[in-house]
Amino acid sequence: MAYQLYRNTTLGNSLQESLDELIQTQQITPQLALQVLLQFDKAINTALANRVRNRVNFKGSLNTYRFCDNVWTFVLNDVEFREVTDLVKVDKVKIVACDGKSRLFFFSLSLRPFSLHLQTDSVRTRSHTSLSKYKTKSMTISHTVV
Amino acid sequence: MASSANSNPVPKLYRSVIEDVINEVRELFLDEGVDEQVLMELKTLWENKLMQSKAVEGFHTEEQAALQAAAHQQAQQAQQATQQAQAQQVLLPPQQQVTSWQSTRPTVTSAPQQQVIVQDPKILQHMSATGMSAAATAATLALPTGVSPYHQLITSQGQILQFVRAANGAQYIIQPQQQMVLQQQVLPQMQPGGVQAPVIQQVLAPLQGGHPQQTGVIIQPQQIVLTGNKVQQNAQVMQMPGQPGQVQQIQQQVQQVQQAQGGAAPGPPQQQAKQQPPMMLQVDGAGDTSSEDEDEEEEEYDEDEDEDKDKDGGEDGQVEEEPLNSEDDVSDEEDQELFDTENVVVCQYDKIHRSKNKWKFHLKDGIMNLNGRDYVFSKAIGDAEW
Repeated sequence: MAYQLYRNTTLGNSLQESLDELIQTQQITPQLALQVLLQFDKAINTALANRVRNRVNFKGSLNTYRFCDNVWTFVLNDVEFREVTDLVKVDKVKIVACDGKSRLFFFSLSLRPFSLHLQTDSVRTRSHTSLSKYKTKSMTISHTVV
Repeated sequence: MASSANSNPVPKLYRSVIEDVINEVRELFLDEGVDEQVLMELKTLWENKLMQSKAVEGFHTEEQAALQAAAHQQAQQAQQATQQAQAQQVLLPPQQQVTSWQSTRPTVTSAPQQQVIVQDPKILQHMSATGMSAAATAATLALPTGVSPYHQLITSQGQILQFVRAANGAQYIIQPQQQMVLQQQVLPQMQPGGVQAPVIQQVLAPLQGGHPQQTGVIIQPQQIVLTGNKVQQNAQVMQMPGQPGQVQQIQQQVQQVQQAQGGAAPGPPQQQAKQQPPMMLQVDGAGDTSSEDEDEEEEEYDEDEDEDKDKDGGEDGQVEEEPLNSEDDVSDEEDQELFDTENVVVCQYDKIHRSKNKWKFHLKDGIMNLNGRDYVFSKAIGDAEW
């Protein structure tokens, strides 16, 4: 499941509103709308990761910070956002950031089920006491990731 | 495509996301037995809303371009029908959705020319001459940057007109409401049973004689109010002083405008203005204690505030202070109100670091909405002190 983080953006909100309108006129079912949103999540995550290639710097003063459920939320004041081309100043900005390295993120890619086989050969030894014999061990680990 | 000089990645990105999503869900739609038509409608709605929001620059579709072409032709025709010679039209539609009078289907307005920022009557003239008026029916112009205080007029319909006085003295009225039917001059058309919306058109008409004073503001409010089966329509044209002998029907908005200017209007225009329910000139935002139906707000500018506020009673001592304070930061408040955007950045974090009270942010894959506009980044690095 890709992050639903981007639903509260201009793009995401306009999609949600449009879907709501269609639901109201009963042209689509809520279930279908949900599917569309999930598809949107995938698409926007992929697009941002692959199609955007620019850097931004910003500087300001931190008003509040919160870290909950692995989500950082900051409120900054008097911030300057600087890109190569231009500069944007705002009095107040809220930053919501999800973990960029979470495995959840990778689930948005389709992973084939894979399996691992581990096999260890046994070592048979005879101890002086010849008490125990080691048997051949083989382990099979099969890991399915959806 | 967009005529912007900078390569703004946002419209392309959004466009590609829309295409991707629509294509991906096509199957889903078919599986559910939903018609392709609905899918197209979804796409249209989505794009329209994006354009309405004006968060993205230069975001338009080919459909839009076609509409502009059509509007262009009509605009030319209309233009000939109206004033001769140098009647120039500058339409400043609200930064919202505009409905073409040709159809009841809402269409979006932004044009590639929309990025022209009007700073100067010359530019206005230039734009008009080059057919801006055409695009104007579908165009969303950015506010002139030379704008000094803004006033908000609340019409009797409850819509908020923003009255803007540009640095050069020209005045525009911007109506930020949705569902506005934008028409050329002198087209008293009624929309049969379709979407009814008030129309306000601002026209900047410099005098034919080339007078330096650009106070010609032609306002054509066309109000189509659907009440039951009754449709009222007022098509009025008003021209500011400077062109004597022109049509002088003025609606209340204009009268308010005039008053706000300090009563520059001549006598006749003011006569008819009082007919309609009074308008409000609300400057200081919500939380007024004075009633909304009075002209008192407006009289603040005439320095009668004390009397009026006293009338409202001492509900709070704050009441008296409000008008005093509200004048101080009129522009600031209204700027904030206008944008009304909580500037938000939605992204993912690579690393958040803190040292004492010095924070460092390493972010990625973000969408930002700052001052009403959208930006994206693949990486963002920031510093802040707590």
